[in-house]
Amino acid sequence: MNEILEMFQGLSIGFGIAFSLNNLIFALIGAVLGTIVGILPGLGPAATISLLLPLSFKIGSPVSSIIMMAGIFYGAMYGGSTTSILVNIPGEAASVVTCIDGYQMALKGRAGPALGIAAIGSFIAGTIGVIGLSFVAPPLAEFALKFGPPEYFSLTLLGLLMATLLGGASIVKGLIMVVLGLLLGSVGLDPISGAVRFTWGFFMLQEGVDFVTLAMGMFGIGEILINLEKELTTELVTRKIAHLWPTLKDWAESKWAIIRGSFIGFFIGILPGGGAVISSLVSYAVEKKVSKHPEEFGKGAIQGVAGPESANNSAASTSFIPLLTLGIPGNASIAMIFAALLIQGVQPGPFLITEHPDVFWGVVASMYVGNVMLLILNLPMVGIWVQLLRVPYAILAPIIVLFCCIGVYSIRNTVFDIWVMGVFGVIGYLFRKVDMEPGPLILAFVLGPILERSLRQALLISAGSPLIFFTRPISGALMGFLFLFILIQVIMAFRKMRSKYKI
Amino acid sequence: MGRFKHPGPGFLPFGLAIVLISLSLILIFTKRGKAKTPTPFWPHRTWLRPFLGVAILVFYAWIIQRLGFIITTFAFLLIWMRVIERLPWRTMISISIGTTAALYLIFVLFLEVPLPLGILKW
Repeated sequence: MNEILEMFQGLSIGFGIAFSLNNLIFALIGAVLGTIVGILPGLGPAATISLLLPLSFKIGSPVSSIIMMAGIFYGAMYGGSTTSILVNIPGEAASVVTCIDGYQMALKGRAGPALGIAAIGSFIAGTIGVIGLSFVAPPLAEFALKFGPPEYFSLTLLGLLMATLLGGASIVKGLIMVVLGLLLGSVGLDPISGAVRFTWGFFMLQEGVDFVTLAMGMFGIGEILINLEKELTTELVTRKIAHLWPTLKDWAESKWAIIRGSFIGFFIGILPGGGAVISSLVSYAVEKKVSKHPEEFGKGAIQGVAGPESANNSAASTSFIPLLTLGIPGNASIAMIFAALLIQGVQPGPFLITEHPDVFWGVVASMYVGNVMLLILNLPMVGIWVQLLRVPYAILAPIIVLFCCIGVYSIRNTVFDIWVMGVFGVIGYLFRKVDMEPGPLILAFVLGPILERSLRQALLISAGSPLIFFTRPISGALMGFLFLFILIQVIMAFRKMRSKYKI
Repeated sequence: MGRFKHPGPGFLPFGLAIVLISLSLILIFTKRGKAKTPTPFWPHRTWLRPFLGVAILVFYAWIIQRLGFIITTFAFLLIWMRVIERLPWRTMISISIGTTAALYLIFVLFLEVPLPLGILKW
C-alpha cells in the first residue's frame, strides 16, 4: 500500500514538472521531431537522438533534455507506421511488419482506418506501457540495490548477448560488433588502476573515445553515406486519406490485438536486449496464430497493423525500465539517452529514483503527456506530416551532415572533433556495407566500462574464482537464463543446418 | 594483464582479443565455399556519391577556420546539392541561405557556440 502511495506522490511531483511551460515545449519538440523522423525513411530515432546530444550540453536541466529525447524515441514509433502503410517503406525498423498488412489495406482504399487504428493502438499501448513503468520501476530499483558486481556483470553480459542474438541478421557479425564496441570503450584510462590503454601516444585519447563523436559519426554520418548510395526516390503520396476513424467492425476486430500487443511489448521491452523491433515481430506472429482467419494476414488484416504498432509503442515505454532502474540500456536509442543522462551528471541506476526523483518522475509524467500530444499529432494532422515525404533527400542529407559538424564542434570547440567524427562516419558506412549494424557496437561501448568494472571487482571479491557468478542466487539465475538462451540458439542453428543438408 | 586473482588493465582487452579472433575465424570459415559469384563491393560506381560526401565534409572542416562559419556553410550546401544531387539553382540558393540563417540562429545566437566567424564578424 505504501508503495502505491509513494507512486502517486511521485507522479504528482512529476506532473508538476512535466506541466511547466518549459518542459511542455520540450515534450512537444520531442514528439514533433519523433513523428518526423519516424515518417522519414533513412533517419532513425537513434541517429536523431545522437544529433541532439550536443544540444543536451546546452539545454541545461537534465529533465528537459531527457523529456525531449524520450519524446523522439516513442514519437518515432508513432510516425514509423505512416510510411509503412502509405508507401510500403518502413519509416523505422520497428514498423517493418506493419508494411505487410498496412500497405495491403492502403491498396484496398483503407489507408485511413489503418492509420487511425495504428495511432489509437499506439496511444493505448503507450499509455499502458507508461503505467507499467510507473508501477514496476520503483520496486525494481529497490530490488536492484541488492545487486553487487557479480550481478551487474551477469546482467550486462545477458543484455549484450540478447541484444545481438535477437537483433541482427547474423549472430557472428553482431558479436564481432559487440567485441569491437567493448574494445573501443576500453580506450583511455583504466577505470580501476588508472593505467593508460590503447592511446598510441595521443594525448586526446586519454579521456577515451568521446561517445557523442562516435555516435554522431557511426549513426548520423554513416547513415547518410549509405543512403547516398541508394538513390532514394521519394514516392509522392497522391492517395487521399479519408475516414481516419475506424469503423465499429474494425474496432471489434482489433481491440484484442491492441491489448495483446500492449502486453507483449510491455514484457519484451523490460527484457535486457529486448525492445520495440522484436516486440513488433512477436506480436505479428502471435496475432497470426490466434486469428480465426490466418489466411487474411498479408492481404490487409487490420490486426496485423494494430498488434505490432501497439507492441512497439508499449515496448518503447518499458525499455526505459532497465535504463532508469538498473542503469543498463537495452538498445541503441536508449544507449544515447543513457549518455545524455551522464552528460548531465545524472548516474542512471538503482539510486536514480531516490537521488533524482525530479528526473525520474518528471520524465515518466511527460510520457503520459507526450502520448496525448502524439495522438493529436498523428490522428488529425497526419496529412501534414505525409507532405514531408516530398522533401527530397537531396536537401535533407546536407542539412543533417551540417548539423552533425556544428554539433560535434560545439562540444569542445575544436575542428579536430569534426575530423574524428568523419572517420567514424566512414567506418560506420563500411560496417553497414558489410551488413554489420552499428547498434550493438554503440550499446557495447556504453556498457563496456560497467562490464569491465563489475567483472574485475567480482573476481577480486572471489579471489579469482569465476564460480562467484554462479553461486550467488540472482547472478546464478541470470547466468542460467543466459546459458538456456544460448542453448536454444545452438539447437535452432543445428536444426537449420540439418534440414539444409538433409542428414 | 594480471591473473584471475588480480585482474589488471589488460585482462578484459586480452580476453576480448581472443573472442574477436575466434569470431573472425568462424566468419571466414563459414563463408568459404558459399557465394560462388562474388558481387562487386561497389556496383555501378555507387562509391561515387558517398565518396563525394566525405570529400565535401573534409573540405568543410578544413576551410571553416579560414573563411568562417557563414561563408563555409553556405558553400557547403551549395556544393553538396550541386555536385551530388543537381537541383535547380533557385531552390539551391534559397535553401542554402535559409539553412545557414537557421543554423546561425540556433547555434550562434541561441546556444552561443563560439563558431569561427572568419571574415564576416559582426
